Amino acid sequence: MSHLPVLLVIVYLGSAFLTPLLSRLKRFSANWFAVGVAALGLLVSGTSALYLAEVGPFSYFPGGHPLPWGIEISVDWVAVYMQLTINFIAFMVLIYSKADLIREVEQGAISWYYTLFFLLMAALNGLALAADLFNIYVFTEISSLTACALVAIKSQRQCVEASLKYMILSTLGSGMVLLGISLIYMVTGHLNINVLGQALPAAFAAYPWNILVALSLFIIGFGIKSALFPLHVWLPDAHSSAPTPSSAVLSGLVIKVYVIVLAKIIFQVFGIDLFSAIPIPEVLLLLATFGIFAGSILAIGQKDIKRMLAYSSVAQICYIYMGLALVTETGAVGGLLHVFNHAVMKSSLFLAAGAIIYKTGIRKIEDLAGIGYRMPITMAVFSVGALSMVGIPGFSGFISKYYLAFGALDAGKPFYVAVILLSSLLNAIYYFPIIVRAFFGQGGGKFSRDNLPRMMSLPMLVLAGITVYFGILPGGLVKIVELAAATWLR
Amino acid sequence: MISNLVDNLHFLTAILLFLIGFHTMLTHSNLIKKIIGMNIMETGIFLFFISIGYVEGGSAPIIREGTAMVNPLPSALILTGIVVGVSLTAFALALVIKLYRYYGTIDADEIMRLRSNEE
Repeated sequence: MSHLPVLLVIVYLGSAFLTPLLSRLKRFSANWFAVGVAALGLLVSGTSALYLAEVGPFSYFPGGHPLPWGIEISVDWVAVYMQLTINFIAFMVLIYSKADLIREVEQGAISWYYTLFFLLMAALNGLALAADLFNIYVFTEISSLTACALVAIKSQRQCVEASLKYMILSTLGSGMVLLGISLIYMVTGHLNINVLGQALPAAFAAYPWNILVALSLFIIGFGIKSALFPLHVWLPDAHSSAPTPSSAVLSGLVIKVYVIVLAKIIFQVFGIDLFSAIPIPEVLLLLATFGIFAGSILAIGQKDIKRMLAYSSVAQICYIYMGLALVTETGAVGGLLHVFNHAVMKSSLFLAAGAIIYKTGIRKIEDLAGIGYRMPITMAVFSVGALSMVGIPGFSGFISKYYLAFGALDAGKPFYVAVILLSSLLNAIYYFPIIVRAFFGQGGGKFSRDNLPRMMSLPMLVLAGITVYFGILPGGLVKIVELAAATWLR
Repeated sequence: MISNLVDNLHFLTAILLFLIGFHTMLTHSNLIKKIIGMNIMETGIFLFFISIGYVEGGSAPIIREGTAMVNPLPSALILTGIVVGVSLTAFALALVIKLYRYYGTIDADEIMRLRSNEE
């Protein structure tokens, strides 16, 4: 049973290389294969969560060499929580992708699309587990390379351009991360994050500059990759021009996994004492505040629906940063909850927007008048996602904002409660006009059927259902997240 | 002061390369030059990492009693880093070729101008 979390990475890696081989067979459908593998992934991550609940956090040593030489994989609640999120969203998106990809990607590239998707999943699952700085670097590189390729696979000039921009900036980020790793290795001689956590206070006393420079390099490096304001410039282009399933995964999962990895490094290597001794949490909180406002204000001005959703991601990722930078347990619970909640609602929004584009070809927000009558199910899903984004009680987005607000009060910073309230208002400014225009604009009349392929509407409905379910009964989710937050902040 | 500088010359060189690459990557509008800058930056980091593992007077890391060895770990890690760097470069160059097919130029400013003309 203890092999399960690692097996997940291996299954995805193996199926990535099997897909192009198997697609040589005549009666092979890469889509169904992908859905099967993702279902297996979800099953495995669910089972490993149950196993973890039984035995508690444990370490796994591939190769069997003990610390400090061996490579450690630490399976704790954060890792399992991230794996559940990653595999659930991937499963939903892969079901959706069957009908959608035929329109967006050339026929010959579809099985390659799934190869890239599996590689990305292997890297994300690996990032959730890795307890070794160099493993983190390698998985980061795999995930950013495949994420760029998932944007560029659509043969349109905007996609290629966006992908190159994304690629250059994220290489800059991973270069900084590697430099940070080498600065830390230089003064401690370790790469394992738990061993480093013990060795760091002594190293900090002897070489404070190395440690401080490494810390800032990690923050900037992962900040670029996770689109922390003002390093978000690549995100709107990449996430809006990519094929819809890619957009959902990139916005829903990829940027968040980097935040979690950064938090893992900060809390487990540098420790809370060092982190709070220098004013880094304050700087992060300030950047998050600017990001929340800038992302929302930029989103208000957008005409393209997918571009608006991408700018909204810039704002939403800052909530996660804010929750973790508050350095209180309630705040961290809010931030971590938002990882799952935002992943669910943003992917449901992207899938709904993709379904509208699939059916009608409309991308401009102003052309959406009356779309609620032509595609009621899709717009209902979109409305649930949008209401949850705004933070209306009864939807899951409210729960994470609730915990964030209490975290801000716990930290003695009531200013950020005001930030959260005001930003909800800004979210409403750009989400509500779409709903109003869709259902109350002219061109209305009678409701008709969506006429979407069932494989497209089913995952959207499930995601919307999850948003409502965890908005009303968040108990089970909050319990896992509290355990996860407790591994960092006690 | 001077002897301190000379002793740490390898670190200084590596950081200088990093900065040259960084600057090239962000300021040049030619996409191929951007990619060259990316490579220079990575080389700087690789040299930095490898020079950490050097031990004065050390031999190759084959275990023999009583001899000092250089630390093999940084070299092993950077081997992986180089492979990653090569694949990143290959992918970026492929994207540049695609962009050249679409726009007929590899100058980022020119591409921006062509795009704004379209819209």
